[in-house]
Amino acid sequence: MKVTVCIGSSCHIKGSRQVVEQLQDLVRENNLGEKVELSGTFCMGKCQQGVCVSVDEEFYSVTPDSVKNFFEENILSVLK
Amino acid sequence: MNDLCADIGYKSINHYGEQLCGDHVDVVESNEKTTIIVLADGLGSGVKASILSTLTSKIISTMMAEGIPLEECVATIAATLPVCSVRGVAYSTFTIVHIKNNETAELIQYDNPHIIMIRDGSNYDYAKTEMNIGGKKIYKSVIKLCEEDTFILMSDGCPHAGIGTSYNFGWKREEIISFMEMLIPVGYTAKTLSTILVDECNKLYNDRPGDDTTACVVKIRKREPMNLLFGPPSNRDDCDRMMSLFFSKEGKHIVCGGTTSSIAAKYLGKPLRASLEFESPEVPPIAYIDGVDLVTEGVITINKVLSYAKDYLVGNESYEEWSMKRDGASLICRLLFEEATDINFYVGRAINPAHQNPDLPIRFSIKMNLVEELSECLRKMGKRIKVSYF
Repeated sequence: MKVTVCIGSSCHIKGSRQVVEQLQDLVRENNLGEKVELSGTFCMGKCQQGVCVSVDEEFYSVTPDSVKNFFEENILSVLK
Repeated sequence: MNDLCADIGYKSINHYGEQLCGDHVDVVESNEKTTIIVLADGLGSGVKASILSTLTSKIISTMMAEGIPLEECVATIAATLPVCSVRGVAYSTFTIVHIKNNETAELIQYDNPHIIMIRDGSNYDYAKTEMNIGGKKIYKSVIKLCEEDTFILMSDGCPHAGIGTSYNFGWKREEIISFMEMLIPVGYTAKTLSTILVDECNKLYNDRPGDDTTACVVKIRKREPMNLLFGPPSNRDDCDRMMSLFFSKEGKHIVCGGTTSSIAAKYLGKPLRASLEFESPEVPPIAYIDGVDLVTEGVITINKVLSYAKDYLVGNESYEEWSMKRDGASLICRLLFEEATDINFYVGRAINPAHQNPDLPIRFSIKMNLVEELSECLRKMGKRIKVSYF
């Protein structure tokens, strides 16, 4: 599973750093390092809806507060 | 002419408790061929010293730039300087470095500590001729320049640093030389070298300098072109034209901005890989494209670079940050401030619809101002700047 987080200007201001760090922690805690590939990208063209995150091409809008829910619903439940 | 140029930087600290500095450095580039650097140290400290040294350095640099012989310059100073009411003399010491065609340097020294010259990493003992002009003993040297020659001009505040506190007789010339010999191979800029030297003096003075202290470093180096791409062009059809102009230029290439880097990646036919390493909380991570020396985010990164550039021109207190860290802004700073001498900016004027959101601290006008302010700062650092808009 490939999870890509936008680290462009707009998403950076909206907190992409916190999103990335939380995702890295969550992946580590759940021992999913081999199944989930976290990567960054510059701008997905949907800055209004940032922080932009995509899971295998599927687009999601995530905030630093909603990361945990997002992870459980769209990553953890799919893999388990 | 050759492809050498002079990187010039200086820093002063004031006598403890004084608002003005009694040392003054003036740099005049009369045309592309001649540069004159004057460091003057006025008698005493405070206002009087400041007036004496400012007058001295201004008069000498202006007259020398016009090609007037040294004897006349010195006579003019002697006749012009106001006489100190306490000591009954008009007095300011001076050191002049006159660089011609980037091929030779003429050193003219009057009563300041002698210039330290470092060549091939170690102290170079250059020949001096003693002259007598109007009763003043003046030393003159002519040196054929080589790449990486470094000249260190000082006011007597440097060798006097630490007298009575850290050292009995101050910071000895030999020790200053070995201190600088150690720093020069690192590749710091002239400004940073002078900052480190003066900061060290300040430490020896226990933050209470007993004299105005100034160091000016002149470093002879090769011209190094650098190109920076920032923002997509206002008209999409200009993408290819902008990219081909940018990538055809000699020197390193820096690409700033998310959309901009996608355009560059597409033009080169190479993938754009963004890293997730947050080296600094303020600056977004960098990315990689084969064939581009550095890829970063746009406005936030450049804004940080601008704040470092502004600081560089005054106290240069943040060099410890940008000279070490590995975030996008620090990497750009090292390339622009340290490596580059000639910088070409390729600025796209496209308006990013996402930046029109009133919640965001980014505006189109801010973006354009960033480039203007940054190029102004870089010009003040002595770089040659060309900005092209698309």
